[in-house]
Amino acid sequence: MRNDLNAGVDTSAVITRGLARRFSIEWAVREVTFVLPPRSVLLLVGPNASGKTTLLRLLATALRPTDGSASVFGRDLVRDADAVRRLIAFVGTSAGVYDLLTARENLRFAAAMGGRPDAPVASWLDRVGLTAVADAPVRTLSNGMKRRLALARAWLTSPRLLLLDEPYSGLDSEGLTLVAEMASDTTRRGGSVIIATHEWERGMKMADAVLALAAGRPVEIGPAAQLTAADLAAAAGGTR
Amino acid sequence: MNGVLRAAAVARKDLLMEWRGRQTITATGMVALLMILLLGFVLGSEPGRAAAVLWVALGFAAVVGIPRITQSEVEQQALEALLLYPGSREHLYWGKGAALFIMLSALLVALLLLLGVLFSVDVWTHVGALLGVGMLGIVGLSAIGTLLAALVLHVRGRELLMPLLLLPLALPVVLGGVRLTETILAGTTSALWILVLVAFDLVYLLVCPILFEVVMDEA
Repeated sequence: MRNDLNAGVDTSAVITRGLARRFSIEWAVREVTFVLPPRSVLLLVGPNASGKTTLLRLLATALRPTDGSASVFGRDLVRDADAVRRLIAFVGTSAGVYDLLTARENLRFAAAMGGRPDAPVASWLDRVGLTAVADAPVRTLSNGMKRRLALARAWLTSPRLLLLDEPYSGLDSEGLTLVAEMASDTTRRGGSVIIATHEWERGMKMADAVLALAAGRPVEIGPAAQLTAADLAAAAGGTR
Repeated sequence: MNGVLRAAAVARKDLLMEWRGRQTITATGMVALLMILLLGFVLGSEPGRAAAVLWVALGFAAVVGIPRITQSEVEQQALEALLLYPGSREHLYWGKGAALFIMLSALLVALLLLLGVLFSVDVWTHVGALLGVGMLGIVGLSAIGTLLAALVLHVRGRELLMPLLLLPLALPVVLGGVRLTETILAGTTSALWILVLVAFDLVYLLVCPILFEVVMDEA
């Protein structure tokens, strides 16, 4: 197993050492060790219940590790959780937006909470194609529009580490382009992106490295260019 | 300053959602109305009973309304996003507590008007003092309620647990509120009960935000 993706790079975006998380007696994630350099996109693949979402939530500080350690741009996930939260943005499988607020109000709230009350909310709405429905209650929007709003909420804080859980689900072709734009914008600014997805073919278009998980353990890690489609299909399906 | 802005953003968001959904205020209003009608019917509507009826109604309305302030985040699947914003979770406490305080204060105004009509109490003569005491009590209810709302967030049967936790902890506040309201309606004052109410408010306001942060860390 390769875990030297970041050889020669001083400030890594993410470093994990034996990262593990247990729920009751079940290990959701075990012995995950990898280094992700800045300006790179890591694709996280694996079958259902392989630990992809748990790993993302650990890196987002939504969960505490049971064992092991990890840091994001040099900040420890546990000891320096608040500093990590200033660097990351996490978009989960549900949009997590407020149905009774408008799209604009949702973004204004996110900007205020993210410490950027002066963020140009209108231009972010425009960027994700929601200007026409900016003042409509979110409950009247489609799921795809809610996903776009969730992407804008993450994007407007200009995160250095972007964590996307199944970002392609429920998005149309423009939405998919948006995900790619968001990832390339983050890497251009010196940040990194981790994408957990079943749709590895889409993710491979922008991935620099791949980490495959099975039953919570890493089974394959390496530069995307060195992995064949057969390797990835096997890893994503959990047959490796 | 950033913390004040964050707390204000949470309070504004909660109040805006409540204004549009009217879920908490409808539920608390209905419970309070039923309590007042029921107690008035059973005990009689003598002015001397008005203070106790007011605070019992307010206490039970709080039991119904308090869990909603965090439950709505879970229903919208927005809790995780809320907890992942940078900054102290204490800011969430102050924002949610402030929104709860405003909602319960609005309910207090409605209940005072209702008491004036149903219990023949001269509310207008003492309106300032009654609102002052009411809000002093609501500060305590909101302070402890915001913490408990976070505590029972993922507990099954939280509807049962909330009164078991809230009512004993809020007893000094409710008792202080009843005694002070009685003295105000009788045209006197009681420095002792004002001190009791203020002391409990201060203790809750000092301790609860710290505990809220611990509870939210485990949420």
